[in-house]
Amino acid sequence: MIKEKYVSNEKEITINVVQTEIKSIRKKDITKTGLRIYDNGYIGIAGTVGKVDESELEKRAIENLKLQIPYPYEPSTNYVEKLDYRKETLSDEEFVKEIEELLAILRTEFPDFIFSNNVSIQEMDISLSNDKGLDLSHKDRFVAVEFVIKEKSSVNVFDAFAVFADRKYSREKVLNIVKDTLTAYRNPVKLPKEGKLPVVFAANDGLVLKKLTEELNGYKVGTGASLFKDFIGEKKFNENFTLYQSAEEEDITGYTFFDAEGVVNKGYKYALIENGRIISPYTDKKTASQFNLPLTGSASAEYDKVPTLASRYLKVASSGKTLKELLNGQLGVAVLIASGGDFTAEGVFGTPVQLAFLTDGEKLIGRLPELTISGELYTMFGEDFIGRSEDKAFAGQNALVLNLDVKYI
Amino acid sequence: MYVFPKNLYTDVRLEDVSVSEITYQNGELRQNLKRNTKGGFIRIFDGKRWYYSSTTDIDNIQEEINKLALMANENENILSHPVVEKFEINKGEYFHFKENDILNISQEEKLQLLKSYFPLVENREEIKMWRAIYVDRKITKEFYSSKGANLKFDYQTCAVVYRYSLNIDGKTLDSSYDKTTTDFNKLKNLKEEIEKTISRDIEYTKHAKPVTPGKYTVIFAPIATGVFTHESFGHKSEADFMVGDETMMKEWSIGKKVGADNLSIVDYGDILGGGFVPFDDEGTRAKKTYLIKDGILAGRLHSSVTAESLKEETTGNARAKDFEFEPIVRMTTTYIEAGDKTKEELFSEVKEGIYIEEINHGSGMSTFTIAPRISYMIRDGKIAEPVNIAVVSGNVMETLYNIDGISNEVELMSFSLGGCGKFEQFPLPVGFGGPYIRVNNITVQ
Repeated sequence: MIKEKYVSNEKEITINVVQTEIKSIRKKDITKTGLRIYDNGYIGIAGTVGKVDESELEKRAIENLKLQIPYPYEPSTNYVEKLDYRKETLSDEEFVKEIEELLAILRTEFPDFIFSNNVSIQEMDISLSNDKGLDLSHKDRFVAVEFVIKEKSSVNVFDAFAVFADRKYSREKVLNIVKDTLTAYRNPVKLPKEGKLPVVFAANDGLVLKKLTEELNGYKVGTGASLFKDFIGEKKFNENFTLYQSAEEEDITGYTFFDAEGVVNKGYKYALIENGRIISPYTDKKTASQFNLPLTGSASAEYDKVPTLASRYLKVASSGKTLKELLNGQLGVAVLIASGGDFTAEGVFGTPVQLAFLTDGEKLIGRLPELTISGELYTMFGEDFIGRSEDKAFAGQNALVLNLDVKYI
Repeated sequence: MYVFPKNLYTDVRLEDVSVSEITYQNGELRQNLKRNTKGGFIRIFDGKRWYYSSTTDIDNIQEEINKLALMANENENILSHPVVEKFEINKGEYFHFKENDILNISQEEKLQLLKSYFPLVENREEIKMWRAIYVDRKITKEFYSSKGANLKFDYQTCAVVYRYSLNIDGKTLDSSYDKTTTDFNKLKNLKEEIEKTISRDIEYTKHAKPVTPGKYTVIFAPIATGVFTHESFGHKSEADFMVGDETMMKEWSIGKKVGADNLSIVDYGDILGGGFVPFDDEGTRAKKTYLIKDGILAGRLHSSVTAESLKEETTGNARAKDFEFEPIVRMTTTYIEAGDKTKEELFSEVKEGIYIEEINHGSGMSTFTIAPRISYMIRDGKIAEPVNIAVVSGNVMETLYNIDGISNEVELMSFSLGGCGKFEQFPLPVGFGGPYIRVNNITVQ
């Protein structure tokens, strides 16, 4: 019988902003504890929120072994690693004062816009340990500014947003993001042409990677439900396209460096597609074992649930070039808001673009009218893949650039 | 019960949440969860700012109130503050699920019910991967305020969901069947419905071809109507988007013509289902709110703060995702009312168009989108060949005028997995649906 404990503590102070004014302040401090018992090929779990009576939790977990949930895999053992990415940040009082000042600047410099939503400091402390020598701990803290922006004269619910997330707060960086976005917003421009154009996304935009994420699911590949079922090991995409699962320090995503089964990847990353070749789907212990696939450490679980397969943060490898270099003299369509699009089952992609800017790779030049963009999975990441920028030249973020069909809506 | 701080408005929301979740994947048990959590959310208002605290330490709520009060400034006139005056003082116990309390059903009975449908998916060669999920949720809420509110009420849903992935000679489809209800007994005879859904999906996958992109007349099935209504218009009716915004107030002035003459949209929390909210999370009783009545803008959704700000009445729409969050303006059950055409009439009047029967998701800003899962061409008034569509979209305000036919029966529904998202608060259960509607000039990609 192996006993394993998962503890998650989330602390947060959130300042809610309405009409460019602080409206409320919320504090949160919530601890969730899960106890897992592995015995005879089964797993029993019990969890609690708040105060913990560990012996009672253990009793319930042992009792839950009777539910006979199969888990015939070795839990991770004999590995100790503790990472603490936290940096000095503002105290709660300093934070409130700073946001008051920031909002005062926004009211003065951008009187034609309304800023809403929230600004927060979020801290996480997550550990997984067992009585077979596993002891993993991940601590992180970051400031997240998530402004929803509305032009005062507009009849839309909102018109733009500005997002900043970093372990260290920087008023200057926040203001630069807002300034770059809104200066361009005020300048309506037209497409250089309709048709195939370089389209720029924030590199962590989930929309364009959605189909890859779905089809790289190891269980889907193993059971033959995936489009990629016959393509593992085959080169299906651009030579320069590499996609990997990442829990690297620079990725502020809320993912721990270990997965829910205590698996830690070398360098905190695992390539699923390398230089266009599909290397492996993502897997947890069950999927890897059942379908004889490499274990990629992609188990996820709530504190009181059995770990199951889920995609972690998927990241396109940097092309080692700036956004300007990737655009190579062309103007790009930088997509800030593309809501509601999707891929069809066979991989045809389409989405309306509610807010896009024209960019030369260094700055946002002006705001484009509403557009539609479309493409096809193998082409988008094949001949039409341009790259991922090394610099954060798109609203403070790295950029992903693809050639796509662009039209006015 | 609690000693509320002097010269401040305080309310406390306690939630006792029980969840069951059973999951099988390709016939193997993956989850068998019974969870009970208790938590509280405290709000204090001093007339200028709100102070919130979320805690799982419900034995020490009083201590948490006292700590939070230290951040606020006393206000002798707090009771006559216009926002505080809006708070209703409802009292009593309102338990709707004593007769069919989901907590009285054993986990074993839930598990056996879920397993009873396995044969429907096990022997289908086309289904490569499937997941059977039973999930239920029972919440008992208590609400106390320094104005005297003292409420206890309950809420429950239960669901059977089958999700499956098809691969037929390289043609794939991810689809699902979802039945969410408030009564466990209604989950007992689903065989025919599940079988029909799977058979339809297999036929669709075998024969669907890419659509020719363009502008079409589109008929939405009730699920698509519901998501369109929720995303395209429901969110725009949430008054927190209008507070202090003169342009929006002018654009959304009550009495303005905004849609086709026979279009009426309602939000109402007193309908059993995912959007059942007899009292909202600041103790306001549910009210039936017409957002659009006969094409005219008739109302909007409010919390006490937004109602006071716009000098309107509360509607019972201040909802929080759970005890970790403050209530904000959200929908409950939102739907288009029935029209005057039969479903058959709607189709028969279309020479060439698209019928959207099932969807994956939708969104709504100035442009709304629906990502269809199952759709067909309509030719000469009849449903014709299946087509693959990535997304359909249109301008919301134009589309409300472009609705030129509404069927005479309304279907309401809810989903147990997923829900409505607004900023950080996702997912929130809601109800939605409506009749079949026919809309012209929709962009299809």
